[in-house]
Amino acid sequence: MASAPKAPVRKPDAPFYFNTSEHLLRIGRYKANNLSELLRAMQACPEDCIFQHTFRTLQEHHFIRQGFSNDFAHWSLSSCNEPELAERLAGVDVRDFTALEGIRHRMIEIIRDFVAAHPESGSRPAHEPFYFCASDIVLLPTPYAPDTVQGFLDGLQHVSVHSIHHHFIEARLRLKRMSNDFSVWLEEDVGLNEAANDIERIDIYTNTMEGVRLKIGRIVAHAVS
Amino acid sequence: MDAEDQRAPSAGTTSASGSGHDRRATPAVYVPERRLADRRIGRNLPASVLTPPAPPPPPHLDDYASIVGRAQIDALRFLAHELRGKSIKMVNSTALGGGVAEMLNRLVPLLSELQVPAHWDVITGGNDFFEVTKAFHNALHGSAYELTQAAKDIFLMYTEQNRQRMHFDEELVVIHDPQPVGLVLSRGKTRASWVWRCHIDLSNPDRKVWDFLRPFVEQYDAAIFSSQSFARQLSIPQYLFYPCIDPLSEKNRELSDAEIQQVCDDFAIDRSRPIVTQVSRFDRLKDPVGVVKAYKLAKKYVDCQLVLAGGGASDDPEGAAVLQEVRDEAGEDPDIIILDLPPWCALQINALQRASTIIVQKSLKEGFGLTVTEALWKGKPTIAGAVGGIPNQIIHKLTGVLVHSVEGCAFQIRYLLTHPEFARTIGANGREHVKENFLMTTNVKRWLLLFRLLEQAKARMPKAA
Repeated sequence: MASAPKAPVRKPDAPFYFNTSEHLLRIGRYKANNLSELLRAMQACPEDCIFQHTFRTLQEHHFIRQGFSNDFAHWSLSSCNEPELAERLAGVDVRDFTALEGIRHRMIEIIRDFVAAHPESGSRPAHEPFYFCASDIVLLPTPYAPDTVQGFLDGLQHVSVHSIHHHFIEARLRLKRMSNDFSVWLEEDVGLNEAANDIERIDIYTNTMEGVRLKIGRIVAHAVS
Repeated sequence: MDAEDQRAPSAGTTSASGSGHDRRATPAVYVPERRLADRRIGRNLPASVLTPPAPPPPPHLDDYASIVGRAQIDALRFLAHELRGKSIKMVNSTALGGGVAEMLNRLVPLLSELQVPAHWDVITGGNDFFEVTKAFHNALHGSAYELTQAAKDIFLMYTEQNRQRMHFDEELVVIHDPQPVGLVLSRGKTRASWVWRCHIDLSNPDRKVWDFLRPFVEQYDAAIFSSQSFARQLSIPQYLFYPCIDPLSEKNRELSDAEIQQVCDDFAIDRSRPIVTQVSRFDRLKDPVGVVKAYKLAKKYVDCQLVLAGGGASDDPEGAAVLQEVRDEAGEDPDIIILDLPPWCALQINALQRASTIIVQKSLKEGFGLTVTEALWKGKPTIAGAVGGIPNQIIHKLTGVLVHSVEGCAFQIRYLLTHPEFARTIGANGREHVKENFLMTTNVKRWLLLFRLLEQAKARMPKAA
């Protein structure tokens, strides 16, 4: 049976403004030499440290397809040699949260449970300390502010991966909803609801950020073809 | 700047070590009397490396677009736009030689091209001043030192002389390293934000020297370090600026296969067989003897050649002793190629790195480890000691492999030579890691970001009545 012809794509109600964010790394005051210290520091550190070591570190390592999710998981494995803890921390998906406090609580819960079950691990010195850092962020425009879907696809190809990260991953902290800037625009301003949903389902942990860019482009191109 | 970095052909654009005053840098002619190369099969260096080549003209911003992407260059221009008309002064202690001067030589023109004029000034001082600051430098690295009142007086006297001579009319003043740190005493008369850029490792400083310098440091608006682990607890904000390499320099630019082949031919290196290379000074902290031992262990199972390319043995008695130890350990193995190169052999180092199958940096102690950055940038699977700033660059098994022993190094050589797909993956990841974090363009971006943030902070401060 032939599929029903697609409805013509409507002109977007508003342009999509591709922005990007640049970050300057600030060295924080907290440092952990073992898991117990990490737990205490995570309870006390500012939110921007949690942002740095979860959301931001994903951007810094956007080219790695597997094996890197957040700095706490990485340190648990590389410096504390605790693969079980590392695996559980790595399983925390930043896209399940719209606020940093939520991530902080989830991470603390995992570490607290682990240290309670393995008290000897809490005080065992790590090979290298964990240094808490934070980001100072500057938001920048890009030359791309398309008011057509084709223009959106063109801009998507040309902006930096930092811009993709800004709109696709960091956006949920700004929007305070389980979505991203691309999906919101495609749904609300263009009416491409299915494409919006498909984009939200792209797995950032098994794709590089370039891979995410390609997939978004394919989904949108398919939706309007 | 460590004297070591001035001699080493491995030094990159910016060093994790501090700037310094070693005036032996970049000698006009550097041809040791004895033969320059020690090739196991007996071969001198080709004539092409006996004298320094003329420096190429500095690149322009757009030259980097093909490397980092047009979007990154656009971001730099956007960042700079709000700063137009504002200017920066950079102050260090040497105009020639050393990683800091090398970095400023590239950074200053790029900032000016972005219409954020950067002025570079150098402090002056007598031998007594530079003897004191050299001692401070070593003491801040943890060497034993007895700080005397005389040393303090000399430091303060030359600081005062430089303050009298210099003007600070810019909006941002950046002071590099401890030698000029006292210039901050002039900040009261200026409208500038003041930043201290510390290129050295302060994790274990001599207490008395640090206690003397710290009051100066805490008068700045911010301090910048090359690694989290190099920083101190301070009352001012501290930022992390990684050292960087210039992808367009002779050391790092793309080379044609013919250029690589020429260098391999010059040194009788067989490109049809695996090549394992370490590029570093002949210094015990780089563990070249350990590298030879690891090669020997690996060679029981895999065929390969070992290239040890370094400098420092020609004008440094300790370097010469280490070179002899390496020769002794190497014995008569014709597959071990030892090259003691003069400091201007950037092109040759580049070619050797690019010809290599694996690059090793088995340091026992390290600053940031720019030879690792160089190797990663060339997409080479890299094995390195987990010391200093190396773990910032090598994420174990993702962007390279970290080792802690000769045996571990030997195993990783065997593993990478027999698992080329894994080697390719970590090599490719390593290059991306450098592209994201350790290139000159990222360095420019960090300065612009910091300048903007400081200007914003200044604008928020209440105006004096």
